[in-house]
Amino acid sequence: MAEQRKTFHQELDEIRDEIVQLAALVSEFIPRGTELLLANDMRGALSLIEADDEIDALTLRIEEQCYHVLALQQPMASDLRSIVTAVWLTGELERSGDLMVNVAKAARRIYGANLDPRLRGLIERMSEEAARLMKLAIDAYVERNASLGAALDDIDDTLDQLHRDYIEAIFESHADHHLGLQPAVQLALIGRYYERIGDHAVNIGQRVQYMVTGWLPEQTGAARLRARADGEVDEGDTSSP
Amino acid sequence: MTRTAVLAMAEGAVAGLVLVVALVVAVAAWWLGAATERRRQRAVLADSVRRLELDEPTGPDDGPEPLVAVLERAVRDLRSEGELSAHARGRLQEAMDALPQAVLIVDASGELVERNAAAETFVAARHADALVEAAVAELLDAALKGEAASRTIDLFGPPRRVLVVTTTPLGPEGAGTAVAVVDDITERRRLEAVRTDFVANISHELKTPVGAIGLLAETLEAEDDPEVVERLALRIQNEALRVGRTIEDLLDLSRIELGEVSVPEPVEVGRIVDEAVARIRPAAEQAGITVTASVPDALVVAGDRRQLTSALSNLLDNAVKYSDRGGSVEVDAVGRDDEVVLTVADHGIGIPSRDIERVFERFYRVDQARSRETGGTGLGLAIVRHVVANHHGSVEVDSRLGEGSTFTLVLPAAPAPTSGEVRDDEPAAGAPAPTSSPPIPERL
Repeated sequence: MAEQRKTFHQELDEIRDEIVQLAALVSEFIPRGTELLLANDMRGALSLIEADDEIDALTLRIEEQCYHVLALQQPMASDLRSIVTAVWLTGELERSGDLMVNVAKAARRIYGANLDPRLRGLIERMSEEAARLMKLAIDAYVERNASLGAALDDIDDTLDQLHRDYIEAIFESHADHHLGLQPAVQLALIGRYYERIGDHAVNIGQRVQYMVTGWLPEQTGAARLRARADGEVDEGDTSSP
Repeated sequence: MTRTAVLAMAEGAVAGLVLVVALVVAVAAWWLGAATERRRQRAVLADSVRRLELDEPTGPDDGPEPLVAVLERAVRDLRSEGELSAHARGRLQEAMDALPQAVLIVDASGELVERNAAAETFVAARHADALVEAAVAELLDAALKGEAASRTIDLFGPPRRVLVVTTTPLGPEGAGTAVAVVDDITERRRLEAVRTDFVANISHELKTPVGAIGLLAETLEAEDDPEVVERLALRIQNEALRVGRTIEDLLDLSRIELGEVSVPEPVEVGRIVDEAVARIRPAAEQAGITVTASVPDALVVAGDRRQLTSALSNLLDNAVKYSDRGGSVEVDAVGRDDEVVLTVADHGIGIPSRDIERVFERFYRVDQARSRETGGTGLGLAIVRHVVANHHGSVEVDSRLGEGSTFTLVLPAAPAPTSGEVRDDEPAAGAPAPTSSPPIPERL
């Protein structure tokens, strides 16, 4: 029995290590995608789009491993939450990788567009911020640090502000006739991709909170809904003669 | 004597005899037993000595002691050998830890058995290092099957890194172990790029204007229209000036590169700033850019006035060139402990982060088209870097695209001023006072 538990925990450790590896692949995608976008590097764009297959394959492998553990062992309580969190995280990470693939594809669509230095600077900063959030999210996961996981929502405010400045800069650049409508729209989408990566990092933070404490952010909303429903029932009761 | 008495005496004698005999028998039995026991012990020990392949003692076969001595000596030898080998092992580990490369050794089952200090980064790693850890594991698997393997890993960071993982099988195939070495070749890669780019750039910088002059002269030869002739001559002049500037800068750079400041003299920071600002002012005014300087009076560095002015002029030149019309450039200096920190800040186009590490290279250009427009030689920042190195200082750049760049020079402050050239003896970190006074003419 002791031997069996050891194998089970080894399997949990392996899942965690593979999540860390998946996150590293995704975190590398962020500066890599930004660099190819700013350097008009079409070969780099193609190689990033192809490298996404590696992320997909690893995602599948981790998910299968998680289902295998769920099916064959009987994880309970925090062990069960760890596995459920791992499945969630693979989704968040895989989606973040796809967003950088979208950046590479957008780089191909706006090939040759002349981006002014301010836009380039803001793209660099959004990229750095998104990569930072992703790394913090993974730190929270590996260290099982629920407070760091919870803090990510506030840390993400910087990226949100950068995104707003960036959209404004696109409008200005377009109004000054430096930027055509087509690339302006693509650039706006690119900004959105970085901002979404930040949101995925925040989601990972929340899942880490769930893994450690069993608390889900949706519970607050659900409690509000229940409270409202109870209130309506009470009101209904009091207003009836 | 009665018969009874005789009988009693005889009984006593017999009893005594019996007692003596019994005693003798007992002693003999004990002696025999002890001898047997010693023989048995000797046999057991001799067996041990033979099994351990130790040298059996020669001499009379008289007990276990010589064998015990042999075993004791063997244990002592073994212990001292163990100590020696622990010592050797410690030395080897220390040597491994001193290696800049990460070294990891696994046994036949793939379990990590040895690693050095540099390898700590790749064990239970996170972020980009986790990718290196995965590559190491994968290549070690191949090495355990007898295949040596190598892989280059480009990490986008930040900071950007290039690592090479090489694995080699050790020992006989199938039963052996394997070693992985992770080498960081980022710096080597950078130097290779510097070298190849330098050769390409220098030939480009010198050949382009010379080629243009040749073509323009050829066209001039067949031209009669005085207006066109004048235009062509002007262009030839411009190109000649351009190549002249490049050669001048190259000579400057090689002079500065030659070495240190032979006799450092106290140089007032206020005066070199005034001088550099005065030199750039016409160009700045033409471009509609305001240059302001704020330098406390008492700041003095030890060095070469001419080199320092040249470095500062180059920084100001860049700041003005890469600012937009209506922009501003600020020069500040403060004293900090035994250093003087000089900053030149602009609010211009900024430097992309991937180029930041390379801007101090000779002929490195962030944007070829823009540099051509502004007429730089591509050597300015290389000169700055060498001047600062000659003064045992440092130069750093902090830049954001679209927000501007700040170059920070840190120079060692001159020892307490004794020469009359220095304005006063106030502490270095005085209140900044704007220096808008006209420049002091100086040899240059």
